[in-house]
Amino acid sequence: MSVKIALAGNPNSGKTTLFNALTGSSQHVGNWPGVTVEKKEGKIKGQADVRLVDLPGIYSLSPYTLEEVVARDYLTKERPDAIINIVDGSNIERNLYLTTQVMELGIPVIVALNMMDVVRKNGDIIDVKKLSAALGCEVVEISALRGTGVAEIAKKAAALASSGKQTPPQHTFNEVVEAALHTLADLLPADIKPEQKRWYAVKLFERDKKVLQSVSLTAKMEEIIGCTEETLEDDAESIITNERYEYISGLVRGCVRKKRKGLSVSDKIDRVVTNRFLALPIFAVVMFLVYYVSVTTVGGWATDWANDGLFGDGFHLFGVWIPGIPVLLGNVLEKLGTAEWLNSLILDGIVGGVGAVLGFVPQMLVLFIFLAFLEACGYMARIAFIMDRIFRKFGLSGKSFIPILIGTGCGVPGVMASRTIENDRDRKMTIITTTFIPCGAKLPIIALIAGALFDGAWWVSPSAYFVGIAAIIVSGIMLKKTKLFAGDPAPFVMELPAYHLPTAGNVLRSMWERGWSFIKKAGTIILLSTIVLWFLQGFGFEDGAFGMVEDLNNSVLANVGSVIAFLFAPLGWGDWKAAVAAVTGLIAKENVVGTFGILFGFAEVAEDGAEVWGTLAASYSALAAYSFLVFNLLCAPCFAAIGAIKREMNSAKWTWFAIGYQCIFAYVISLCIYQIGSVFAGGAFGIGTVVAIVLAAVLIYLIFRPNPYKETLSRRTQVRSVQA
Amino acid sequence: MMPLTMMAVGTAASVKKVGGREETKRFLENLGFVQGAVVSVVSEMGGNVIVNVKDSRVAISRAMANKIIISM
Repeated sequence: MSVKIALAGNPNSGKTTLFNALTGSSQHVGNWPGVTVEKKEGKIKGQADVRLVDLPGIYSLSPYTLEEVVARDYLTKERPDAIINIVDGSNIERNLYLTTQVMELGIPVIVALNMMDVVRKNGDIIDVKKLSAALGCEVVEISALRGTGVAEIAKKAAALASSGKQTPPQHTFNEVVEAALHTLADLLPADIKPEQKRWYAVKLFERDKKVLQSVSLTAKMEEIIGCTEETLEDDAESIITNERYEYISGLVRGCVRKKRKGLSVSDKIDRVVTNRFLALPIFAVVMFLVYYVSVTTVGGWATDWANDGLFGDGFHLFGVWIPGIPVLLGNVLEKLGTAEWLNSLILDGIVGGVGAVLGFVPQMLVLFIFLAFLEACGYMARIAFIMDRIFRKFGLSGKSFIPILIGTGCGVPGVMASRTIENDRDRKMTIITTTFIPCGAKLPIIALIAGALFDGAWWVSPSAYFVGIAAIIVSGIMLKKTKLFAGDPAPFVMELPAYHLPTAGNVLRSMWERGWSFIKKAGTIILLSTIVLWFLQGFGFEDGAFGMVEDLNNSVLANVGSVIAFLFAPLGWGDWKAAVAAVTGLIAKENVVGTFGILFGFAEVAEDGAEVWGTLAASYSALAAYSFLVFNLLCAPCFAAIGAIKREMNSAKWTWFAIGYQCIFAYVISLCIYQIGSVFAGGAFGIGTVVAIVLAAVLIYLIFRPNPYKETLSRRTQVRSVQA
Repeated sequence: MMPLTMMAVGTAASVKKVGGREETKRFLENLGFVQGAVVSVVSEMGGNVIVNVKDSRVAISRAMANKIIISM
């Protein structure tokens, strides 16, 4: 029979590392039902029939955060056969706080005392035998990072789970609280199992909302709690929290001998890195290095290789010429003697389309390595802290910065990274605004417009990032003043992990998880859409019959494009080619360049579309092209990112709101740029100009109007202070 | 008795009381900001602070740090 073990522990306690070490590659990643909290499951290596469920990282089993509720519901309802509680030995007091709660559940527990290598290096000593006796469960010393003790914990946990031997909690609170808990336990309904009595007694004492839904508080119980609160002069929940920490402090004093050395290494680094004068310059240097390496040097070479070599003519490997995939496939197809339309579908449609997307993978992976490193070493959490002061001014929290940062690589993992933001409003706002920042796939559009219309001017690319950042700021300010998002951003409280050098394995795994979500989209949605697009542009009515068309202007795509083109006329690019290019951008943003290439009659274009520069410059004015660029940067992201938005919003209504907001915002900004810009460029003053000025005025009003919701709040506090 | 924001970098004090919104108060208590816990300020940036409590570092925004009352 198979057994189920749950892995529980604090965030930053090395839980993910231990989970990876225990399960290896046999992992299944999904979501907990109904919520966007990641659920990982796997089989424990070397133990037959033992399933391990990774619970979200939590500090306690109170019902305040989504993660805590998920973990609690799983533990109390599914009741796994055993729990591995991972405890960070270098931060033992805070970690044992959760342990005391886990012990009360009435499920067999085994403690994995992690980071023992760090503890020893610091010269600290933990008396494991004493700790184990005091807690009432086995304690195994491990180092998940180095892999020591992992096999032992796997074996012992599996044995514990199959034996079903209980590990009753041994910790006690002060007499007054204990007396109350005992009386409560006796008053509990008879159907509660003896091993769960302690849990229910404590939770009822705390008046835990979730537990009260299943067990009601009788008048007698309420009286006992009220009495105890009066005696100890605190509310019941704080009493329990204090008692737990009180107990743990005593326990730690008895079992842990610390070698005090003043400031820890981590604190010394923080003194410099989060210093009020040095923090921003250091941050700027780190970001510059990350982007310099991943965009211009290593990442640039990798992308060139992928685009021009692997998916182009070919490349040299140690002096040997290796032909690219299109060349190889072309030869094979020629030998097979397949029909011309099939060749066209495979080479122009599928290889061209999917290849263009996959060409970004190397660059993106380089960027993700850096971001994974920054995350794993602990600097990412500091970035959130450093940026919080600035982001708070725009109604966002510092934690919103991490999704945006990752979004510069790809919007899909960017949107997914918004999960770490606990506050619902802040998270939704971050999801809506994250894709405003130019992602890797939007860079070719920028290169195309800059090259074709602006002579490769240096300022076009930075201006795109500026537009993205400005859009995030403006949206933050505007949305915060609407009823949907009113209220201050949640107070910033975040644990900062100790700085440490991550292992290569963990960094690569994290890079791969993010990169894979991008590759998957290339293999599925983009593959499908390139086939559809190829069909739409290759077929149509010509000479009264439906079939492959000679003239692209007769294709189905051209017809569809002409129907919707009028929508974009006010933005300055109302011809069907640009309209179609923008629509194909929904499939994947880099498609925009390829579409222009095809529509202007070039079979294949370089990443920056250098071949079409001339034609493009002849077709559009610089202003219209810039308006086109801005629209494509800000409008709804590609389907894959929209999918990510839908997953994270977990609501169709909010997904449509996000897409609608992005599209309308992009339209208004592009309209204002084109129409008002035209007047400055010496154009006529027309209806379009008036509309643009009115829209711009509305926008400015929405940004600078006093916050109607904040005002009522401060007025209310004023009234209260007057009454007081 | 004074709010945490008034503490100088490098000094230590003990927590007297945590105020503020119920949810945040609970969260801070769970993180170890209970009565009597020793805290020290590692770094300060425009009122936002990084505080050492029970061997872990917690970043707290100014608004919240103002509601943690400490005594030297």
